[in-house]
Amino acid sequence: MSPLLVIVLRTLAGLGLLLLNGVVLIYMLRKVLAHLHLRIGPNRVGPWGVFQTSMDVVKLLTKEDFRPATADKWLFRLAPLLIFVPSFMAYLVIGFSPTWHFANLDTGVLFVFAVLSFVPIGIMMAGWASNSKWSLIGGMRAAGQQIAYEVPLLLSVLGVVMLAGSLDLKVIVESQAGLWLGFLPKWFILPQFLGFWLFAIAALAESNQTPFDMSEAESELVTGFANEYSGMRFGFMFLAEFSNLFVSCAVGTTLFFGGWLLPGLEHNAVALALGPIVFMVKVYLGIFCMMWIRGTLPRIRIDQMLSFAWKALIPLSLAWVVIFAVILKAVRA
Amino acid sequence: MIWGLGFFRAMGVTMRNMFRPTMTVQYPDEHLVIPERARWALAHKFDESGAPKCTACLICERECPDHIIHMTVSGDAASGKHIDEYRYELGACMMCGLCVAACPFDAIEMSHEYELATPDPDKLIRILLRDVDAASGKRAKEVAPVAAREAGAPGEPGAPSADGRGDGDA
Repeated sequence: MSPLLVIVLRTLAGLGLLLLNGVVLIYMLRKVLAHLHLRIGPNRVGPWGVFQTSMDVVKLLTKEDFRPATADKWLFRLAPLLIFVPSFMAYLVIGFSPTWHFANLDTGVLFVFAVLSFVPIGIMMAGWASNSKWSLIGGMRAAGQQIAYEVPLLLSVLGVVMLAGSLDLKVIVESQAGLWLGFLPKWFILPQFLGFWLFAIAALAESNQTPFDMSEAESELVTGFANEYSGMRFGFMFLAEFSNLFVSCAVGTTLFFGGWLLPGLEHNAVALALGPIVFMVKVYLGIFCMMWIRGTLPRIRIDQMLSFAWKALIPLSLAWVVIFAVILKAVRA
Repeated sequence: MIWGLGFFRAMGVTMRNMFRPTMTVQYPDEHLVIPERARWALAHKFDESGAPKCTACLICERECPDHIIHMTVSGDAASGKHIDEYRYELGACMMCGLCVAACPFDAIEMSHEYELATPDPDKLIRILLRDVDAASGKRAKEVAPVAAREAGAPGEPGAPSADGRGDGDA
């Protein structure tokens, strides 16, 4: 096959995965939240309502693409793309098995976080261009929040990078192979327990999930930055949100839960062939936990959230990086 | 108390809920049992032969605070009254139940018919009775008036207090 065709096919596969994930995750979110709240959730379209989100996609595609008269024409059109494209690019480095990945970068970890830090720019652009006070407040909150939580997110990952000695996601997964004491999987969550919690909190904030969904905050800002959008432009933003959720959980699985590896079966050919399924199961368990948190905790205030990031999370993650570096050096010396 | 424990307790609560049965009532398919004393649309009571128990005394019409009950009656008490029309403006009714409380012959009730929304405003004016003979006051008198029965007035036949006191075995 020509290299160009390979690139096109891989891009389409990534896009398909993103769209499928979006459809499945929205259905899953509605069902999980409903059952956490003693409700039923969608159950009218198809058996158990499984076609609900597909119908929602059709609805979004056929809806009028409306732009408010006072909105900034070009920024308003550009913003959904700027939100959607980075979250799509982040799929590039996710490894589903030793051989299944769209591209293998030596600096995969760095790439994911670098690309995802574009998202707040798009959100802020959407908020500004909509020329509505709710959108603007949502956009500003997104910028403040995501910049604040990017720092502990990156710092919490440094411990894993130190352990694996690489920024390559494939190398990080492969260095988690094996067992400790014969029964504990050598996953990085065990030495990096505190790092994992810091990562989980920061990832929740980065992917705009409750209790940190300040930029949407349905009950106070309607839908925040997406307020003035309709049709597929809104769909892109919605899709990007769920794709960010997937990427956060995929990165978390890769860094802390051994990616596609089943503990103790690292050299088993069948286990390796089932790698993508193992990986997806782990990712979806992580997503379920995020939805579980979303169905449990109330939204905190924006000032509480920012002071928590700057006064607690960042010092804690900095301290953890220093302490862990010293411990690692002492153990390995 | 360890800081942060509340988070895990809250997560436990929602996870327990996840495995409890849902409490949603899927309304058009399922209905809640409404309380016995719920007051909805006004309806007439009928005796065993299917004749209305209404004697056309017009007390409900006078009692209604909204003036939404309109009776057209012909004939007189001596020769027997005839109800030409018993008109009830459902759309203006506030379901207070004063007409039922006032009825001396226990002839009307607040029914449990509660799915009253309709796209046709004319359906909100109901003719409950049309062109029927009213029950005679004498026959209906055998049933004690509602207010008297509820108060348990002394001297009322069958009132429990009167029976108890007359017994000398104790």
